[in-house]
Amino acid sequence: MAPAAAWGLAGLLLLVAGFCLVERQLWRACQGFVAFGLLMALAWLLLGAPWLALAEALLGAVLTGGTLLWTLRGRGALPRLALRDETPRRARVTAPLRWLLMLAWLGLTGFALLRLLGLEALTPPASATTLSAATGVLIMGPAVWGFATQRHLLRRLLAFNLLGSGVFLLLAGLAGPVAEVQGLILVGLVVALLGSVLGAALLLRLHAAAGLVSLEPAAGADP
Amino acid sequence: MTALPLAPLLYTALLWPLLLALRPLLLALIAADQSRPRLDLLWISAPLPALALAVLGADGAVRLDAWLLGGRWELDGARRLLLAFTALLWGLAGWYARGYLGAEQARAAAGDALSRSRLLRFALFWPLTLCGNLLLLVAEDIGSFYLGFALMTFAAYPLVIHSGSPEARTGGLAYLIMAVLGEGVLLAGLLWAAGSGSALTLSQLRATLATADAGPWMGLLLWLGFGVKAGVIGLHLWLPLAHPVAPTPASAVLSGAMIKAGLVGWLGTLPLGVAGVEASFRGLGLAMLWAGLAGAFAAALLGAVQRHPKAVLAYSSVSQMGMITALVAIGLLHPESWPALGALVMLFAAHHGLSKGALFLGVGISEQAPPWPAWLLWTLLALPALSLAGVLGSGLMIKSDTKTLLYAAGAPDLALWLSLAAAGTTVLMARTLWRQWCRRAPAGIAAHRHLLAPMPLAWLLCVLAALSLPLWAGWPAGGTGDAFDELALKALPALLWPPALGLALSIVLGWTLRRVAPWLSRRLPAGDLWWPLAAGARWLRRPGQATLRWLAAVQASWVAWWVAREHGAVAGLDALTRAEGWLRRQLALLLLAVALGLAAVLLIGAEGMPLWR
Amino acid sequence: MNPTSFHVLWLLCAPPALGLLTLVRPPRHGALVLLAGLPLPLVALWLLLGLDTGPLAGQLALGPLLLHWRLDGLAALLWLLTMVLLLASALYAAGYARAAPLDARAYAWLWPLLGGLATGLGLIWIAADLLLLYAGLELMGLCAVGMLLLPGSVAALTAGLRYLLFALVGSLTWLLGIALLLGAWGRLDLAGLAAVAQPDPVTAIAVALLASGLLLKASIFPLHGWLVPVHGSAWTPVSAIHGALVVKASFFILLLLWRLLLPDAIAGALALGALGSLAVLWGGVQAWRAAGLKELVAWSTVGQLGYLMLAFPLLAGTGAAVAALAWQATWLQLAGHALAKSAMFMAAGNLLLATGATRLEGLTGTSRRLPLSLLTFGLAAVTLMGLPPSAGFTAKWLWLQASLAAGQWAWVAVLGLGTLLSAAYVFRVLRCSFVEDAPEPVLRGLPLGMELVALALALAAIGLGLAAAWPLALLPPVSVP
Repeated sequence: MAPAAAWGLAGLLLLVAGFCLVERQLWRACQGFVAFGLLMALAWLLLGAPWLALAEALLGAVLTGGTLLWTLRGRGALPRLALRDETPRRARVTAPLRWLLMLAWLGLTGFALLRLLGLEALTPPASATTLSAATGVLIMGPAVWGFATQRHLLRRLLAFNLLGSGVFLLLAGLAGPVAEVQGLILVGLVVALLGSVLGAALLLRLHAAAGLVSLEPAAGADP
Repeated sequence: MTALPLAPLLYTALLWPLLLALRPLLLALIAADQSRPRLDLLWISAPLPALALAVLGADGAVRLDAWLLGGRWELDGARRLLLAFTALLWGLAGWYARGYLGAEQARAAAGDALSRSRLLRFALFWPLTLCGNLLLLVAEDIGSFYLGFALMTFAAYPLVIHSGSPEARTGGLAYLIMAVLGEGVLLAGLLWAAGSGSALTLSQLRATLATADAGPWMGLLLWLGFGVKAGVIGLHLWLPLAHPVAPTPASAVLSGAMIKAGLVGWLGTLPLGVAGVEASFRGLGLAMLWAGLAGAFAAALLGAVQRHPKAVLAYSSVSQMGMITALVAIGLLHPESWPALGALVMLFAAHHGLSKGALFLGVGISEQAPPWPAWLLWTLLALPALSLAGVLGSGLMIKSDTKTLLYAAGAPDLALWLSLAAAGTTVLMARTLWRQWCRRAPAGIAAHRHLLAPMPLAWLLCVLAALSLPLWAGWPAGGTGDAFDELALKALPALLWPPALGLALSIVLGWTLRRVAPWLSRRLPAGDLWWPLAAGARWLRRPGQATLRWLAAVQASWVAWWVAREHGAVAGLDALTRAEGWLRRQLALLLLAVALGLAAVLLIGAEGMPLWR
Repeated sequence: MNPTSFHVLWLLCAPPALGLLTLVRPPRHGALVLLAGLPLPLVALWLLLGLDTGPLAGQLALGPLLLHWRLDGLAALLWLLTMVLLLASALYAAGYARAAPLDARAYAWLWPLLGGLATGLGLIWIAADLLLLYAGLELMGLCAVGMLLLPGSVAALTAGLRYLLFALVGSLTWLLGIALLLGAWGRLDLAGLAAVAQPDPVTAIAVALLASGLLLKASIFPLHGWLVPVHGSAWTPVSAIHGALVVKASFFILLLLWRLLLPDAIAGALALGALGSLAVLWGGVQAWRAAGLKELVAWSTVGQLGYLMLAFPLLAGTGAAVAALAWQATWLQLAGHALAKSAMFMAAGNLLLATGATRLEGLTGTSRRLPLSLLTFGLAAVTLMGLPPSAGFTAKWLWLQASLAAGQWAWVAVLGLGTLLSAAYVFRVLRCSFVEDAPEPVLRGLPLGMELVALALALAAIGLGLAAAWPLALLPPVSVP
């Protein structure tokens, strides 16, 4: 049985991730993401990877989260984004399809996880690592849903970052905090940071040039 | 007479008409407005090299391997005679045409565009037709022969429709339809026979026909194909329609020279006189014999009620060619008698060609009579008719020879039938002269007052050539100058009763039927079967047109269907383009779907991979 | 002197160093670029020629982390190709900057990104463990996104953002696949994985996840949606290098891992082949329908990448002879298409730049005024259509033989239809350019270098078909399980 701290952390991670994904107030969602990054750093500490925790706090929480926050309230030359996501929802007709695909995908990942760790180790998770893997899969689910469903590019970036964090947790949970895993996660963090910075900068320029916050200019006309 | 080398003469004889045909064409192309096609002396000279070839050329063959499938042209006794009378007739008719179309030339010179174009057409196609006629006479290879035959056939069409009148168009249509039918059947026969026997020359073709299993059938096709040209009864429809409407010189060469091409074709392709063919070719021979005799009599009957002298003459040609057909049939039925009979057929052809030419030219003379004494004019007009009826000259000689040969061949019945047919010829000749008399010009025409004016002179020469045929027809064959056996005086009554019978019949029938004659003429117009056939075709045209309309509707709906499919396809492509936009928007879902699908394929496709351990 | 790991490291680091140098003062003259850049392909060639003793391999220890790399004939050939194309693209870019009105700052950023791209591609070619591959893939992807965004127009921003988002998510699916592999087999180096990995369900799921991410990055139907808008608005030298190399790197990784982990998965290979066939047909039809010249060329990339996917079914469980044919055909097609596609993009860019048009109809009258560019376009099209004697022809011929020998007739039909479609869209362009009755276009003069670079690449693609034996002899033999 995993320690209670781990359980609590996992629950918090899930809660904050869910909050980030469903919150339409972008400022609060981004703040939530910073909190999520800090919780992730705690998780790495708990798993015994202090350097990784430091990198996560720096790259994930401070820099990535900071970039997202700066996109909303920064003092750059370009006009800031609106603080609330006003883009319309995607058509309801495809919603079942989205759900189906997302669940199937989760099921696939979960199946692989069960094959690797065994049923006994997961119900309930026996250690911090298995708990981390399970949490990762559970975070990936809503993140994938959010990425496929939402239109606002900032929220999609958030979803991507959360998805990445879920993958990192799964990775650490499957293989333990070995050097390879730390290397992969480090590269992933850098890539996520660079991608977020690039994405946020582009979003700002797109917003300035065309007033758009999503990829589909015609989508706003949808009922 | 020393013979000259063959090749240069032959090439000149063939190329000279071609050059003369090119001349008006070139002139018209170079200076379309100024050129006035004239039937000048140079143009008349078109058949002169051929005549020179017939007179001066040495026997032999010329080969030119580069030509078609290997050109091979020959000159021998039979060809020399054919060539001689053909060239002579073409030359005299050409000369005659110079006078006959004098008024047209005058109009063209005055600037009448229509006359000019008609004259240009005549000046162009006359030598072309001549060239084809000469080529088929000297050809030994099948390619040249067919080329000459087809060239002559189709180049003569513009000559038929020269005047452009509705009758001329009808005649031209009949000519063209029958010609195309004939060419088709002929080509089928030639290709079949030449293909099955790998024959390239006419003699090889004859050998093929004699030995091949399907020989009689090939022979039938060839007989029918050439029969259109030769005016076999049933296939003769074009003759009485085309002859009266064509310009008189053209009628003369059509009837005198060109229908002999059919005969030449028979002689060239059918295995006449080949020992052993009488068994296999018996059916064809009998068919030819009966068709010939039927033609000889039917044409006499039909011709006797015609009003236009040229129509009567055309039927007379059908009748005469029927007799020749019957004689040719003997060559299949009694091959052993063919050598003598063949020579006779040649003479018959020459005799008929020249006499008929003179008669046709004479029709023009009687219509535009020179101011000569009537007794002289009408005696001269009657002379070739008498010759053709067998009362004097070559006609009498040929009849005598025919009788002798047929008795020798063991076909005395045929001799009797031919004698009766000769009575019919006499009737036709009497009818011709009578109709000419009825239609004679009221007074002499000033243009022909001069004795040396082209028309009368050419006609006189033609009459002379026809009458003098017995004197010179022998030299091509043997050089003795006499092709005919001596006539015994006591044989004369036996030879002269058919013309007498014919004359009596003419007088009796002419007198007794004088009241119904116009009615009969109306009921039996020139072209006989053509008119019911044409009516039938018109009757068939209505359902035909309905069918065509239906086909057009089907085609339109077919096209519309395809256009609709095309619209559908374009719409489909547009849908594809829209689908591309959808694919782009749903990239995230597609990513999930591809991962899932691939995983499913990998998990299910891998046999022996336990899903759970 | 034999190639050592030091030379490999130099070749990895030199391009970004050069790029950073030029960031200060972007070059405007081709001669300078040629002078500075020529050592790179020469060193790559020298590395290739030095491999006759055997492949070069090594490890790099970063603390407890061991990174594996390996340079064999295939990697060296691809690296040489990369260097040649990057140099050609750089030369072209120098002329492009003079002929087209480019934003100076954006132009300056092109060079370090180009250098980073070279490093990323080099890493991918030589990587022998999944971590290096991951790093190389991400470096390449981010540099490519950056380069494509340089024009700064709304269209470029939208297309680039889409590319960025999906490239990142594709990386995550790839990372997820790696996580499963690492969890299952406990190692990342390819040689070790090959030794221990079994084709069990977890491996299958991992490969499916890896493959979906890579298919997205390689823009294989139906995950190709991002490619065409990106090319439509990007700069010509960037399009050229992207269409020629970047998408192919993902394919390279996929083929590498597939043959390593699931060499016997025939059903999956057939599914990938079917996706490739659809890509050939879909790309061909859309190229035939495309309104703009660059869109047409981009669609043609989608179609041509589909051919490469035929490698999977022809390499999986078909026997040594067929596999050898398909193996050679794949790399020949990859190299021939890379050369031809970059030549075609450059020629198309020349035509568009000179006429100022973007649509095909704007090309009227170019046959007389821009014969050299049109000739280049035609020569590149010869390779794309697969006419002899080009590399495209040789590749298709080998594929044809392989398909017939393997009894997989469907690919023959795909090859035939694809050829017909490519002929259709190429002749559409040529027909537009040979229209003579249109008003004379006002043409902008182009530096001769731009046309010569494109022509040289097109000729190289044809020459590769003539001299295919040399690179094919250097290829490592295909391993048949």
